Amino acid sequence: MGRFLLKRFGLAIVTLVLLSIIAFAAAQLLPGNVGRNVLGGFATQQSVDLFNHQHGVYGPVYSQYGRWIGHLLHGNLGTSLEYNVPVSGLIGPALRNSFKLALLAFILCIPVSIVGGVIAALRQGRPTDRIITVSGLSLTAVPEFVTAIVLIVVFGVALKWLPVTAQAPPGSSVFVQVKYLLLPALALTMVLFGYIARMARAGTIEALDADYTRTAVLKGLSKRTVLRKHVLRNALLPTIAVVATQVGYLIGGLIVIEKLFNYPGIGLRIYTAAQNKDFTMLETGVLIVGIVYLVATLIADLLYSLLNPRIRYGAAE
Amino acid sequence: MDREARRRLEEYRRNEAGPIENTLIDEFAAGEFDRKELIRRAGIFGVSASVIGTLLGALGEAPLAFAGTEAAKAGGRIRVGIIPPPAHGLDPYTYMDQGALETGGIAGEFLTRATQSLTLLPELATSWKPNADASKWTFKLRPNVKFQNGGTMGADDVVATFKRLVGDPASQAQSAFKGVLSPDGVKKVDDVTIEFDLESPTASFPYLTSSTTYQAIILPAGYQPGTFEKTPQATGAFKLTSYTPGNGAKYDRFAGWWGGTAPLDGVDVTYYSDDAAVTAALLGGQIDLIGQIQFATGRPLFGNPNVQIFSAHGATHREVPMRVDLHNPLRDHRVRQAIALTLDRPAIIKTLFNNLSDIGNDSPFAPVYPSTDKSVPQRHKDLRKAKQLMAAAGYPHGFSITLTTEMTGEIPQLAQIIQRSVKAIGIKMNLQILTATAYFAGTQTGPPSGWGNTPWLNAPMNITDWGHRAVPNVYLVSAFESKGVWNAAHYSNKRLDALAKSYVGAVALKDQRKYEKQMQLILLNDTPVIIPYFYNYLAAGNKKVKGYQADALGEIYLSKTSLA
Repeated sequence: MGRFLLKRFGLAIVTLVLLSIIAFAAAQLLPGNVGRNVLGGFATQQSVDLFNHQHGVYGPVYSQYGRWIGHLLHGNLGTSLEYNVPVSGLIGPALRNSFKLALLAFILCIPVSIVGGVIAALRQGRPTDRIITVSGLSLTAVPEFVTAIVLIVVFGVALKWLPVTAQAPPGSSVFVQVKYLLLPALALTMVLFGYIARMARAGTIEALDADYTRTAVLKGLSKRTVLRKHVLRNALLPTIAVVATQVGYLIGGLIVIEKLFNYPGIGLRIYTAAQNKDFTMLETGVLIVGIVYLVATLIADLLYSLLNPRIRYGAAE
Repeated sequence: MDREARRRLEEYRRNEAGPIENTLIDEFAAGEFDRKELIRRAGIFGVSASVIGTLLGALGEAPLAFAGTEAAKAGGRIRVGIIPPPAHGLDPYTYMDQGALETGGIAGEFLTRATQSLTLLPELATSWKPNADASKWTFKLRPNVKFQNGGTMGADDVVATFKRLVGDPASQAQSAFKGVLSPDGVKKVDDVTIEFDLESPTASFPYLTSSTTYQAIILPAGYQPGTFEKTPQATGAFKLTSYTPGNGAKYDRFAGWWGGTAPLDGVDVTYYSDDAAVTAALLGGQIDLIGQIQFATGRPLFGNPNVQIFSAHGATHREVPMRVDLHNPLRDHRVRQAIALTLDRPAIIKTLFNNLSDIGNDSPFAPVYPSTDKSVPQRHKDLRKAKQLMAAAGYPHGFSITLTTEMTGEIPQLAQIIQRSVKAIGIKMNLQILTATAYFAGTQTGPPSGWGNTPWLNAPMNITDWGHRAVPNVYLVSAFESKGVWNAAHYSNKRLDALAKSYVGAVALKDQRKYEKQMQLILLNDTPVIIPYFYNYLAAGNKKVKGYQADALGEIYLSKTSLA
């Protein structure tokens, strides 16, 4: 197990180094000059040059990369070129916001999707299965901005039941924060439901057909016990991997949802940074989302290996 | 005629008025402009309300009447949506984007404030007066004005503010003051008197000290860059108490405001980066006011019974410069005229702005300017004439050209309209629509032709967004004069240069109109630039918002606003 963990950890470090190079290189490819972009098209050339010099955007690209990585290794995330404040002061709250939304979306989405998928599998071929499968597929096929706009128009504008802006006023209670986050979380649930439910359904059908399930039934175990101890334990293995891959998306990829609900999450921060050529914010944001993604995948691998010993044995060979 | 009023007027002319004030009085007496324009122009030259009243009485006009302000309900915090967020820090002299000027303008004040009708109102200056040729201006400051950090505003603060605006390399107001004022020209006379010694006579100089130069917020002499968002230190009715970049800002009522007590307790600003989100927030009741809306993206707000639209005529426009110095068909002014003649301008403003716009006549002289001579014929769509011009220029079957522009507001739609329009005269137009970042990228000075390599100053043909100005001087000097820093057409006409200089220095309205008309005719003939429209500045609020007026530049002025 230790060797398995070490191998996974080593791979994560290599991935992070590669990610930092890709993020930095991609930022360099963005069109425009940092100073010109921050100061605008009508700024004088003199003030643009002054800005670039003051903010360290000069010299060869590799030396700029070296300065950035050097600062990162010393815990200094740098200063936002756009706002001229420490990146940590902007990324921290944004990451916290993204975690809150992702958590609520998971709380709403995962139980509903898994239960839906398992019920569909148990009712395979019947109307209940078709309703769940077709609804899930339809919701997944609809782009998230369409789902979000429909929810905003119906529940926010027409009925005025829920706020259309996801950011609760400062100092709000947990209940109020949940109320503000409900619409975007619902939009995400609708997007993810079909995908996760389908995986749960497929896993359950496979487990129901497996020899160990047949043996358990023939042993005389109750249907409930067979389902809980043998079917679900095996059926949910692929679902865990699917859920883990969604963590990165939920934390850093919700640009459209965050824009529509005006929610200051890390996805929106990265998007704005890319638009405004705010190198430090963009590179650090991408790297942090990468770390979150790697950690989530690592946890999923651990869970997977705990539930399925063949994985860790395979890795150790 | 009121004999007493006449006596007082003569006394004023003899003892106080200079040549400029006397020209103003003579022009009004000769019927050169109406009562409304007299009040506006008197404001520019710092003539007090009592003198205007005397003048009106002496010339048999009804006396000045001041509208009583609607009794405002006190209390409450207004929730304002600003889109987009400030693009960088909040140091006032560095403002160059809508989010920043709206955010800073809630807390800040200027020497003078320009109203919707382009009248100047005293704000931190109580009066101003030019010398005989408007090359030197003396401003009297309002006494006992407190900064939000506790200090008292005086001449030193105003001098420091203007020296920074004019001389600091990071100042975004340098283009407005270029050729007009240098740091050495800002002088303290005494604690409440400032003198501006200009580089060239400028009759409209007080506008440069007004809210239309949105960077000119008066700050303490010891102001440290980067502290505007951390320490309240402006003079306005509301002080900035918290600011989170990209998220929002909070303001509380400033108890020491010289203007008394503002009706609102405070202001809560939320920043938006998506038009649909801010529109939904107003319709969903989460905000009370949106600082700026566009017709194209805010359609659900128009005609909604629960929403009020605030509109202000202005000079905000789009310029379509055509390079006059390249070896392509655009070099011929007849081709440029032909392109301009393909545009159906009334249909364009109906489509893009639901008619909330003025039609442009291919010069920067917007209808909102009093100096604009409206007798100059408006250019209309005329395909027959356009085809004749193309044939005369040697292009009866058209040619291919690329139009480069930016993804800002309705500009991509305008580009498509132009592309479709010129097809009628055989021109195959390719569109290159860039992000604003890419469009403004590159250098603006130096080789190959003096304007660097940025697309917006060097593409054969492009479309660029220009903001409102209370007077057209910046447009003239920067975009039309030979070698102007933003002369994207690379146009050069010595006669126009001379006229522009005369226009900027002209004191009498009839002189301004005389020069302006000649410039309009030159530009119609040469057509280095197409200006299809000047669109209104629009804001939107719910029905609870009282006492709010849109500003042509987008300043959010809330000191007289209340919530029902």
